[in-house]
Amino acid sequence: MILRTETGPKVYVLVWLALLALLALTIGSAFLSLGWANTPLNLAISVTQAALVMLFSMHLRSAHPLLRIIAVIGFFGIAILITLSLFDVLAR
Amino acid sequence: MANRVASLAPQFDDPGQQRTASNLGIWLFLATEILFFGVLFAAYAITRVRFPEAFAAASRLTSLPLAGTNTAVLVTSSLTMALGVHAAQRGARRALVGWLSLTVALGCAFLAIKAVEYRLDYLEHLVPTLDFHYAGAQADQVELFFYMYFFITGVHALHVLVGVGCIATIAVMASRNAFSPAYFTPVDVTGLYWHLVDVIWLFVFPVLYLISRS
Amino acid sequence: MNSAAIATDEPHAPADHYLSRGWDWWSWLTTLDHKRIGILYTATITLLFGIGGAAAALIRLDLLTPHSQLVSLETYNKLFTTHGVIMVWFFLIPSIPATLGNFLLPMMIGARDLAFPRLNLASWYLFVGGAVLTIYALLAGGADTGWTFYTPYSTTFSSSQVFPVATGVFIAGFSSILTGLNFIVTIHEMRAPGMTWFRLPLFIWGMYATSLILVLATPVLAMTLMLMVIERIFGIGVFDPALGGDPLLFQHLFWFYSHPAVYIMIVPAMGVVSEIISCFSRNPVFGYRAMAYAMLAIAAFGFLVWGHHMFVSGQSAYAGTVFSLLTFLVSVPSAVKVFNWTATLYKAHISFDAPMLYALGFLGLFTIGGLTGLFLASIGLDVQLHDTYFVVAHFHYIMVGAAVMGFFGGIHYWWPKISGRMYPENWARFTAVLTFIGFNLTFFPQFIVGYLGMPRRYPDYPVEFQVWNVLSSAGSSLLAFGYLLPLCYLPWSLRYGARASANPWNAKGLEWETTSPPPPENFHATPLVTEDAYAYARAESLDG
Repeated sequence: MILRTETGPKVYVLVWLALLALLALTIGSAFLSLGWANTPLNLAISVTQAALVMLFSMHLRSAHPLLRIIAVIGFFGIAILITLSLFDVLAR
Repeated sequence: MANRVASLAPQFDDPGQQRTASNLGIWLFLATEILFFGVLFAAYAITRVRFPEAFAAASRLTSLPLAGTNTAVLVTSSLTMALGVHAAQRGARRALVGWLSLTVALGCAFLAIKAVEYRLDYLEHLVPTLDFHYAGAQADQVELFFYMYFFITGVHALHVLVGVGCIATIAVMASRNAFSPAYFTPVDVTGLYWHLVDVIWLFVFPVLYLISRS
Repeated sequence: MNSAAIATDEPHAPADHYLSRGWDWWSWLTTLDHKRIGILYTATITLLFGIGGAAAALIRLDLLTPHSQLVSLETYNKLFTTHGVIMVWFFLIPSIPATLGNFLLPMMIGARDLAFPRLNLASWYLFVGGAVLTIYALLAGGADTGWTFYTPYSTTFSSSQVFPVATGVFIAGFSSILTGLNFIVTIHEMRAPGMTWFRLPLFIWGMYATSLILVLATPVLAMTLMLMVIERIFGIGVFDPALGGDPLLFQHLFWFYSHPAVYIMIVPAMGVVSEIISCFSRNPVFGYRAMAYAMLAIAAFGFLVWGHHMFVSGQSAYAGTVFSLLTFLVSVPSAVKVFNWTATLYKAHISFDAPMLYALGFLGLFTIGGLTGLFLASIGLDVQLHDTYFVVAHFHYIMVGAAVMGFFGGIHYWWPKISGRMYPENWARFTAVLTFIGFNLTFFPQFIVGYLGMPRRYPDYPVEFQVWNVLSSAGSSLLAFGYLLPLCYLPWSLRYGARASANPWNAKGLEWETTSPPPPENFHATPLVTEDAYAYARAESLDG
């Protein structure tokens, strides 16, 4: 069931460079006054970084669909928790 | 010492089934870790939404240089871990031990920098219940920020510590020739855990340190 | 009443089975055999059920009189807390999965063991560790916060044993996670040849759905308890209104786990009941796929409804409305299951052996419990009924009336397989009926007195409620008797019961195709599955 295509060292190094670049981007953007948009931008960068790590370093790119579902289902659960709880807090 | 190929556990029919089961098992465990940390993010998010200015002011008091450096350290350790797993796949024992050792070193560096960061926070009276003092407005809510800050980074650091311990153990096992291209599951599994610790930090960092830097 | 048990020549115990190799402490405490671990769990939860039941007995005794005369008000708080904590986390949540699930899951899919036997044993040790800590806390005075640990009472004001109780539950939570993880991997990876997903017995689908909840919900409880305990220890935290924190945040986090947790407690019993009803009506379960999907739907939807515990907490009315609508949705798959069990019984050859009596009891009591859940899902009604005995009756109808009867039905149904002995049928039938009567006498008056306004967790009540409380307490003594009887005749049967054949019920299922008791590796040869589950010939005519 594990389809492990040989992810070579080159890919890992590219991912590493991309992560560092995104890190610079997220820190840099924090110094820009973007108002409400700062946080969503930071989070979007985090999601991109996480996706890079999970797809390449954690081999999800070549993994069975079941593993991909398990990988993201935790995030979905927390999203539900935060969304509905936040809805309560904001709508009181 | 000759390569020790893992024996097939009696409940499994073949090594492929054993490998697949282990992989599925570790991913389920990682899902539980995501949910475990997710609760902290939820508690943080809800409290932050209620006190945006206090949390912004508090965030500015955190050490961005140290945490930014730490992020780079952890990301790099993720690279060295991935290269270690790759070495295990190829049966390159010395490379494997080397990469794993480097990962351990980077993990320890992360913890050391964190210790420095915590000490700085203590000296600036930002540790709740330990002589906390904040002179500005909404001091109680600033203290709540730091409560969550220490809780989240503390639980994360604990996971880093456990990870470092596991990787060190794997490194010792690797130096004793415990792994081969046919069997390197503990390396694989530990690698996945370490990557997740990295992923979690990639969310912790902006959420705590980058609220209001402009 | 005819019995489904097949009369054959006197069976003999197989020469070598999972209990015959080693009986000493070491063989039990270091076992990796899922069957022995299932038995270890059974012994442990029986003990804990006794403790939780004793707390209930004291509560019902105290409620015989309108003014609390048996125990102090503080002790009363500790009694209902103890009862809730032990019954939820140390009895119901592990019950069917850790006992019957552990024992039967590999057998029912044709495997030799679970995927991770050492994790399985570790899960039992974690469970025992958590239980020991909780019992210690009990002996040291107990917690008085209610099993729900609401803040800020639990974090700031209670001076009771909150820390050890919460930590005990925290540790036991990891036991839950490991069990669920093991089950999911085993079901995915270790089915015998020919055992496709849609040939799996519904008990296995039930274990799968339950395991999803165990794995995904329990970590949330772990961190929530940790947040509560750390706040309690350090005197600062995000639940503290004095600092601007939000007590409702705790409730959101707590119920995000605890609502799915109630599905952990009922879905396994649904799986058991599907097995029993099909066997004792000689019919395949009606609507097999719908039944499987329904359990998955319950598991999934169960994560969306937690706010219905918070309608009167100060939660936003808009959020409440959303939660109310979602709660109505989650009742649909459960209703589908009740219809399908009923359809399974239609025009069937029904035999009323004890497992079937328990299963039929489940059907009726689950229906009542489920319908009253809809009452509570309506915000308008819940405003009146929240924190009254109506709620107490509702969840006991599901958790005791349905889940525990399902558990006992399963214990009886698979007793011959587990022990190699038949239990005494007439005693068991009597017990099932006694339990059913005792249960209804205990809890139906609670619907009435709750509707009339009696609050829950109160030791004192207006004198006009006394008649209902006396009825309820009287019923609880019958119920207690109904639980004590199997504790007598089941051990008795181990020595004096008739020996069981491999398949005394002539049931379908891989577990019945091996000896009673089974060999350590479950099957002498890996089975090959060629037919669907419940391949009973459906009765075509009334007199067939």
